[in-house]
Amino acid sequence: MTFSDETVMAYVDGELDEADRAAVEAAMRDNADLARRVERQRALRTRLQDHFKPVLSEPIPPRLLDALAARGAPRPSGSIVALRPRARAHWSWREWGAMAASLVAGALIAPFIWRGAGSSEVELQQGQLLAAGTLGTALTRQLASEPSAGAAIQIGISFPSRTDSYCRTFVLRQHDSLAGLACHESEGWRIMALGAVARPGTAGPYRQAASEMPGGIAHAVDEMIAGQTLDAAAERAARARGWQR
Amino acid sequence: MPPDDLIGEIAVLLPRLRRFARALTRDPHDADDLVQVAVERALARANQLLADAGVTGWMYAIVRNAWIDERRARARRARVLVPEELGEHVADPRQGSAADALAIEDAMQRLPQEQREAVALVLIEGLSYKEAAHVLDVPIGTLTSRIARGRSALQEMLGEDSRTP
Repeated sequence: MTFSDETVMAYVDGELDEADRAAVEAAMRDNADLARRVERQRALRTRLQDHFKPVLSEPIPPRLLDALAARGAPRPSGSIVALRPRARAHWSWREWGAMAASLVAGALIAPFIWRGAGSSEVELQQGQLLAAGTLGTALTRQLASEPSAGAAIQIGISFPSRTDSYCRTFVLRQHDSLAGLACHESEGWRIMALGAVARPGTAGPYRQAASEMPGGIAHAVDEMIAGQTLDAAAERAARARGWQR
Repeated sequence: MPPDDLIGEIAVLLPRLRRFARALTRDPHDADDLVQVAVERALARANQLLADAGVTGWMYAIVRNAWIDERRARARRARVLVPEELGEHVADPRQGSAADALAIEDAMQRLPQEQREAVALVLIEGLSYKEAAHVLDVPIGTLTSRIARGRSALQEMLGEDSRTP
């Protein structure tokens, strides 16, 4: 069986259905030429990705955050940034940008960073958002399969990602309105998405329950998930391995 | 989508949008200009984002359109002075270990616009064919043929060796 260049590329790009993928993989075992063609396409993809990957961890230039913040006000209630409305009056965007040039999503997570030394749930390192404090601890230790009624942080689902890490969704209960998705990477739990959960009484038609993930988070999960969510046993095993895959 | 939800979604996309812009235009400052223009346009046109459309694809499309607008503007300004894109090919002073990186950026810059954006979305940003075709507003067959041609051209420029950095 021969495979066209288009098929080889589609295989490397993850675009083949299961049957075609299996056919390519079976053929590669005794067809060295096909294996070479696949490897060549894969090498190009890897080379390009490796080259541009460092951009992801560069600090976000303040002018981009300024551009985002310019339309930020007025902010409706029920949103992330309205969590501590009184605190917002004390600093302007310009000052904020000057103080923390490497911020990403500063306007959104500012309330969590500014809660006071040692008690932040989100930290910034080289432009990346990382879980810290009680959030970091909960992501590492808490099991979704063993919810604790009094816990400040609720873990939603745990799942393996397409980038070979474990990811977990969470809700910060004490703020009653912030949900997110974090993935375990070498530097810690990296926040991939944050979103507002409607407060009880303000839930729209598409948010049936307070514990339901905001659309943006659910979409991020859809984009990142590889396979199924972890069941109780798999989740426990993943925790025992320190969330390493 | 409520404004704050949109701001939040764009905020977490910023690193990826910057990477995409960097693949389109080599100069990091120009790349951030594109992202900035895109953020401003997105917020100004938030009402055009359909409820069921993903913010990710929408933002990639806005960055890409900002890039096309910029190229056109540059071409107009430069028409009588220098050939279009000459500025993108000036030698880079980096040497030695950066040679491989330089080769990749050179090669990307030499790809025709249509191939460059397709390669950037699929090979670098990891979008599916369907998502990338949607961003570029072309049929999937058009997208896959651009990717195929872009890949061949890159492989020719970068050499046959399959090393990975």
